[in-house]
Amino acid sequence: MRFTIFQDSKVGDRQGNEDRVGYSYSRDVLLMTIADGMGGHDMGEVAAEIAVGEITSRFQQEARNRLQRPFDFLVSAIQSAHRAIVSYADQRNMFECPRTTCVACVVQGGRAFWAHAGDSRLYLIRRGEVVAKTQDHSKVQQMIDAGRLTSEAAAKHPDRNKIYSCLGGVVAPQIDLGRDIRLEPGDTILLSTDGFWTQIPPNIIGTMLVRQPITQLLPGLITEAQRRAQGESDNVSVVAMTWENQEDDNVSDTRAMDEEQFATSTNTTQPLDPDGLPADEVTDDDIERAIAEIQNAIRKVPR
Amino acid sequence: MPAQANQPLPAGYVLNGYRIEKPLSSGGFSIVYLARDEAGTPFAIKEYLPSTMPLRTEGVEVLVTDEGNLSLFRHGLKCFFEEGRALAMISHPNVVRVENFFRANETCYMVMQYVRGRTLQFHIQRNRHEFTEGFIRKVFMYLMNGLREVHANKLLHLDIKPANIFLSMEGRPVLLDFGAARITLSEEAMKLKPMYTAGFAAPEHYRFKPGELGPWSDMYSVGATMYTCIAGTPPQAGDQREQKDRIIPLRTLARQQYSENLYSIVESCLEVDYMKRPQTAFDLQKLLMEEPVAEDRSPSGFLETLSTPLSKLFSR
Repeated sequence: MRFTIFQDSKVGDRQGNEDRVGYSYSRDVLLMTIADGMGGHDMGEVAAEIAVGEITSRFQQEARNRLQRPFDFLVSAIQSAHRAIVSYADQRNMFECPRTTCVACVVQGGRAFWAHAGDSRLYLIRRGEVVAKTQDHSKVQQMIDAGRLTSEAAAKHPDRNKIYSCLGGVVAPQIDLGRDIRLEPGDTILLSTDGFWTQIPPNIIGTMLVRQPITQLLPGLITEAQRRAQGESDNVSVVAMTWENQEDDNVSDTRAMDEEQFATSTNTTQPLDPDGLPADEVTDDDIERAIAEIQNAIRKVPR
Repeated sequence: MPAQANQPLPAGYVLNGYRIEKPLSSGGFSIVYLARDEAGTPFAIKEYLPSTMPLRTEGVEVLVTDEGNLSLFRHGLKCFFEEGRALAMISHPNVVRVENFFRANETCYMVMQYVRGRTLQFHIQRNRHEFTEGFIRKVFMYLMNGLREVHANKLLHLDIKPANIFLSMEGRPVLLDFGAARITLSEEAMKLKPMYTAGFAAPEHYRFKPGELGPWSDMYSVGATMYTCIAGTPPQAGDQREQKDRIIPLRTLARQQYSENLYSIVESCLEVDYMKRPQTAFDLQKLLMEEPVAEDRSPSGFLETLSTPLSKLFSR
């Protein structure tokens, strides 16, 4: 695979950064994840941290060569991240469970697969146009869909931060799947949190991407997003990938990597320690791992 | 069938794309349902649901309220995973096939191939008079094919009994219920004490010294199952036999004529000293094949339907 990747996360004008971004890739498959945590007392940070950490580690367990069923993987990894957040709160008898949005995208075999819950976004930009995007699980998006609100008015609506699907909530997240899309050279997939997309309209990104590669364009756009918020900037995070001409020797090819090797980068702070659990306890992670193992075995043995 | 404190899933409930039709059976740790996928293909779905804990009094979600129950629930789940792992590794016509494994309703589900037929236990209760020597030899010879595959995968079944052997409509024996199965090379798995069924579990099984358990332990259970086919009742329990062996000689219980050779095969499997048993499924299979299988000419309906396809279906 030949692609260019960029990610960054800025705290904006907030006290702490509750956004987490990450990517991980091997020879044949790439994962990008973004999560925007919610909840007081740094708890949003924990939820976003668990989400990106869990999905990335599940990815590395299951994508040894390539993912058998990318959409199944996305749904199951997001669900398991949800459960990990809930059990984190359970173990600590937390009154309120931390919550987070999540978008995860897999690129494999020249195709893109994504899934999301909440109002962090994914855009697929082709020749300057947004050709596919996620639909926010937000109250304002519902009102727009119902024709009761314009996109312009939504940006100022008092309920613009209300979302109805997230990880860590009382109800399991509603997870929407993107189409399985074949990538063309020059296509850019951009994942961002609302700190970015509320400030930078997608058509601007599209227009500018025609002239500049993501590595040059996005640092400036992230700064611009913070500036436009006029001292009230939310955390601003982006992870983006441009699918390159697969014959272009100027771009490095992941096929040069060793098998089963992963290059990973995230802004997660550390693996969370599941403190207080007796060694023999079966955790949610153990359960997910066991199931993944069994499903792998089922697929491997010819039937 | 142990009483279930729990509500089964309602008919018509759609579980991960499978529509539940009805419960087929209910055991100590699970309920098995008949279900169909979207294409209408039938499957047997096993739901992990320990019967001793009230986990689902209404609805479909499994709710573990009690702290102590939670760790028990999760411990049992480990065994359920062992079963899933064990079956996932095997693909053999004489071993039930697992097709899918997933989590839902706060518990786990194992989707297995649905085999039309009845358990050997059912036939022992209804049709034992039709268990001729030829029939018994054939069924167990083919069952040993499946068990060889199990052992070749470093697994022990550890709960072989008539209720866990299925006879398909065509007469193919299928080994079911790997809930006690253990991966012998995994120390973790051997730490989990397997359950046992009195009468069918080998004496060493009760002591639970992992080093003593081996394919020979399954051979004991196979012997006890053959004994039950002939006698109609299982032999004295293995742990009691170690104290005082009062096993009733098979000859005195048989309702029809069997060869001395068959009696001695069953007896050798049922040796209290595991060193004296056939050590592997292959050993037993050879013993069962040595005596030429007598042609059964009695016009019994049950065997008539079984004997012809048996030879066809079991040759691989």
